[in-house]
Amino acid sequence: MKVFLRLTLQVFFFFSFTSSFSQIQNSDFVKENYTKIDTTITMRDGIKLYTIIYVPKDQSQKYPFLIERTPYSVRPYGDNNYAKRIGPNAALMLEKYIFVYQDVRGRYMSEGHNKEVTPYIPNKKSNKDVDESSDTYDTMDWLLKNIKNNNGRAGLYGISYPGFYATASLPGAHPSIKAVSPQAPVTDEFIGDDANHNGAFFLLDNFDFMNYFGKERSGPTEDYGGSMFDANTNDVYSFFLNLGPIKNTQSEKYFNHRSYIWNEYLAHDTYDGYWQKRNIRQYLKNIKIPTLVVGGWFDAEDLFGSLHTYQAIEKQSQVNKNFLVMGPWTHGAWGRNGWNKFGTYDFGSNTSKYFQDSLQTKFFNYFLKDKGSWNTSEATVFETGTNQWRHFKQWPPANISEVSYYFDSNKKLSNQKNNTVNSFDQYVSDPANPVPYTAKVQGRRNNEYMVEDQRFAASRNDVLVYESPVLNEDITIAGPILADFFASISTTDADFIVKLIDVVPPEEINATNPSKSPVSGDFQRLVRAEVMRGKFRNDYVHPEPFVPGKISEVKINLNDVCHTFKRGHKIMVQVQSSWFPLVDMNPQKFMRIPDANENDFQKSTIHIYHDKNHASKIVLPVLK
Amino acid sequence: MKKFFSFVVVLLFFFSSFAQNQDSTWFVNNYTKLEQYIPMRDGIKLFTSIYIPKDQSSKHPFLMTRTPYSCAPYGADKFMPVWRSYKMAYAKENFIFVTQDVRGRYMSEGTFVDVRPFNKNKKAHLNDAVGQGKEIDEASDSYDAIDWLVKNIKNNNGKVGVTGTSYPGFYSTEAALSGHPALVAVSPQAPVTDWFIGDDFHHKGAFFVMDAFSFYPFFGTPHPKPSTTYTQGFSFKSDDNYNAYLKTGALKNFAKLMGDSIPFWNELYQHPNYDEWWQARNARNGLYNVKPAMLWVGGLFDAEDCFGAWNSYKANEKQSPQTNSRIVMGPWYHGQWSREGSFLGNVRFGSNTSAFFQDSIEIPFFNYYLLGKGNTSNIAEANIFFTGENKWHRFDKWPPENVQEQNLYLGSDGNLSLNEKPNNLKGFDEYTSDPAHPVPYTQDIHFRRTREYMDDDQRFASRRPDVLTYQTDILDNDVTLAGPVIADLITSISTTDADFVVKLIDVFPDDFKYPEDVKGNDENYPMGGYEMLVRAEIMRGKFRNSFSKPEPFVPGKITEVKWELPDVAHTFLKGHRIMIQIQSSWFPLADRNPQKFIDIYKADDSDFQKADIRIYHDGANASKIILPVLK
Repeated sequence: MKVFLRLTLQVFFFFSFTSSFSQIQNSDFVKENYTKIDTTITMRDGIKLYTIIYVPKDQSQKYPFLIERTPYSVRPYGDNNYAKRIGPNAALMLEKYIFVYQDVRGRYMSEGHNKEVTPYIPNKKSNKDVDESSDTYDTMDWLLKNIKNNNGRAGLYGISYPGFYATASLPGAHPSIKAVSPQAPVTDEFIGDDANHNGAFFLLDNFDFMNYFGKERSGPTEDYGGSMFDANTNDVYSFFLNLGPIKNTQSEKYFNHRSYIWNEYLAHDTYDGYWQKRNIRQYLKNIKIPTLVVGGWFDAEDLFGSLHTYQAIEKQSQVNKNFLVMGPWTHGAWGRNGWNKFGTYDFGSNTSKYFQDSLQTKFFNYFLKDKGSWNTSEATVFETGTNQWRHFKQWPPANISEVSYYFDSNKKLSNQKNNTVNSFDQYVSDPANPVPYTAKVQGRRNNEYMVEDQRFAASRNDVLVYESPVLNEDITIAGPILADFFASISTTDADFIVKLIDVVPPEEINATNPSKSPVSGDFQRLVRAEVMRGKFRNDYVHPEPFVPGKISEVKINLNDVCHTFKRGHKIMVQVQSSWFPLVDMNPQKFMRIPDANENDFQKSTIHIYHDKNHASKIVLPVLK
Repeated sequence: MKKFFSFVVVLLFFFSSFAQNQDSTWFVNNYTKLEQYIPMRDGIKLFTSIYIPKDQSSKHPFLMTRTPYSCAPYGADKFMPVWRSYKMAYAKENFIFVTQDVRGRYMSEGTFVDVRPFNKNKKAHLNDAVGQGKEIDEASDSYDAIDWLVKNIKNNNGKVGVTGTSYPGFYSTEAALSGHPALVAVSPQAPVTDWFIGDDFHHKGAFFVMDAFSFYPFFGTPHPKPSTTYTQGFSFKSDDNYNAYLKTGALKNFAKLMGDSIPFWNELYQHPNYDEWWQARNARNGLYNVKPAMLWVGGLFDAEDCFGAWNSYKANEKQSPQTNSRIVMGPWYHGQWSREGSFLGNVRFGSNTSAFFQDSIEIPFFNYYLLGKGNTSNIAEANIFFTGENKWHRFDKWPPENVQEQNLYLGSDGNLSLNEKPNNLKGFDEYTSDPAHPVPYTQDIHFRRTREYMDDDQRFASRRPDVLTYQTDILDNDVTLAGPVIADLITSISTTDADFVVKLIDVFPDDFKYPEDVKGNDENYPMGGYEMLVRAEIMRGKFRNSFSKPEPFVPGKITEVKWELPDVAHTFLKGHRIMIQIQSSWFPLADRNPQKFIDIYKADDSDFQKADIRIYHDGANASKIILPVLK
């Protein structure tokens, strides 16, 4: 999430210098065309939220509101300090809306107490029962009454944490809200977003992020005064390996119990009430407000949230106007001016501009201004591998069939089950030498790991590799992926990471990246990966130890993809038991991991079976 | 060597500047070229290019290089581009440049023999009238060439110098053994010296399969009669050496790809041990009674012939103490001393060390001995660049007088301590060496063996479960090493053979950054916590007691494995740490050991098996690394 914040600043920077909109080359565009109002809006419980409103100077027509609620500050503060750009994209700024920015409750200049991913209160009993829905409601109420020349409609949008606040406006929404676009919305932080994936703690991102975001304040402030502690390193692998068990993050040098969110994360190591209350999906019922859910295939933070916010609205609202956009983007990259390439991918077109012009601008103009048309498909999805936009009537598409690819001996990935008995591969997962999540030595989490060449992992003896024969036809997969395998371990807990990889001939990559140094050999391009903390294999609420040596089935849902493995490529699966320091190291002992000491960490010998009775497989959604 | 060879070619074609254009015009206008077949004592004629200065106002010396890589360009009107290197300084002194295709290579007649053994018993013939004895070796060919030159090229001053890098370094060593009285100065640079113990194709008996397999399909193809070209044999259609070599599998399969037409490849497979055949090919054999002034040159990070440079000098000192012999070692890859010398890979040296070598050492050396110009008082017995502190040191002997052997003991929990022997009763670390997942020698995907692996960041390796890592506390004082490093491991293995690789590493401080004005490779690599390889060497376990008579391990039995790593010259600065890594593969630099006591050249794919390796560090079985600490 911090990465996103950096990204936002970059977007601002790019915008003012490289925009193709000639009008905005004038950096005073906002000041010349909008009047800025800094104000506070009083919520039903008396708490005042700091709000900035940019009203078009041209008052010859009425305008809808376009609102972003944020925990990252609405700055610049002060009536005379104008942002260089406003709104989700340049076209909408030129189009003119009443743009509203609000510091959410308890953050920056707003009063009150902040809660991590504020739980929604379904049956509010008094004015003390406030949440993000009620705060949005009260804000709308005030805006409609106090800002002249509005057309009575409002839209909300936001990326990442602000994406959550956009989603949170939906249950119990104010009737004026007519269009909402949650983009990479934080959605379920135990199952798939930011904090944990399937119960495995995302150490690297959160340690860094909470160092600044998790800081307490004594009252409203424009500035939290930087990070809590200095943890500068240019090599996060060494840093976290040396740091040891995650309880050491609470030492005097680091969090030292000063971050309420960090304390909560370590306190809630199962899918208990704390996390369940924060899963907003359960409240996305009968959502009739038009929604445009946006996400990136290479979003290292909230890919799960995008896919599952869309899915929750779809499943729980019989009548809806719910749309999905999934592009070849990192976290928030759809907000950039240009996004033609990433890693060794060349998408062949400017995918972020396509989103801004053909989807986002049209969406708000149509539903908030009755302007233009909106005949967009249910799902607008970028297909990687072939690098083209696809338009589907539903997501996942109707015409997919689940095809199983079985792990087999001799590193093979096969269409057929192995019919022998007692066939398996094994490796030792050693907490002293966890498998790196990237080959790069880096001071922070990179985005490229999501598409990185996995040969560095394949050369290790604690990573299993299964590879298909060379494909003699294209195989397109569209939808979620299931890894379903049989494992026995020598200890009582272990993590499992399953990686789906496209083995690409180097000529293909080099043809699309002529300027870069040439890629060599069969490139093992990561398509999708996911982790499962083994003890949660049957139940996220009630973890269960493994019985050493006993075969257990483990299923992992990998996030959706839309990808073509081209003819001449191979499909590969890798299995490993650490992904460091992206994910904290499992001590491989059944216990509360936040309580683990140095000496709780132990090696575990992992067997993965591929025989008649234990046919480990990956199930792919193959598009016909 | 192929690498070096191709680099030369690249140099010829791509380097150009205005100044060089001026120099090229000058050289062509002021020299004439003579192409000459020079007859040897057995009647075989060697093709020789001679560049003669037009200036006849004084007499001039010869500077000769004998090479298996061709004395191209051929044609009396085609000039080798002397102006593209520092050798232009010799042209300005009107040296006569001589390049000769060695016997059996390119345009020379006769039969080529790789690292042809020195023939001691032929010495009598050398003292006899030339042409009487029919026995030849590279020393006699050098003698005969020198003799012809001083007698037939007009206006020479009767003095000859010989130099050459890599394989031509070997021919320089052999020339020094010719005993010809006109030969007064020789500078073997990165000389090929012992292909079983430490240079090019084997290190301590482990086959350097990648270098050999990329070199011989070109270098070794048959050449029945003189010709300016060779055919290219097999080459991999791959850009990923790790994958290509792993998939090819056992050495047997490489032989199949190579075909049977390359004599040396076939011979090499017949000699898995350091037998008489290999012993005869140790260039140190002849280093007795060496007459000319010698300047041995090598690179601390030479992936090919680092061993040869250090150990030829040492043999020269020991076996021929009366020789005026000196050594220069800089922080260089193979041949880097003739090119940019400010950095190698991510590690920077703070100055252009190559320019220092050229201007202050080699040029004064030849100018003095061949022309009598200037003096050599600035060239010490040993002129050694110390990385870490990045300074040249000058010594009266090598290793220096004031070096003390100190023991670096492995300990539990990855600790490493200087001089503190462990006293625990039990202690070992263990890993599984799996031939299906050998430890890569470097991290990045590529095909050609890199030269930067010699000082690469080893963090990729310390993260593997099949690499043991030990490090000292942060150093309170500088620790300078000068001389060879001894690895002395107490081990047991679950099978009958295994390889051992010990790596000596300098761990930079977490906040380390080079100052911006220190020249580097512009890659902005994260240097904080960098694990700089200072020296590494492999030992094929079965040769632990004898390279000639391999012995199996008894599974589970505690066994000492001790071997010498080539000399180092490095200062671990205060604030750094010393690290040791131990692993049992180094792929595909070295071939995989099947981990079964067997003739590896005859092993099948099915012979390769996992081995569990234990390295002990208890009071009775204290594994250690013996460091040459300079006081």
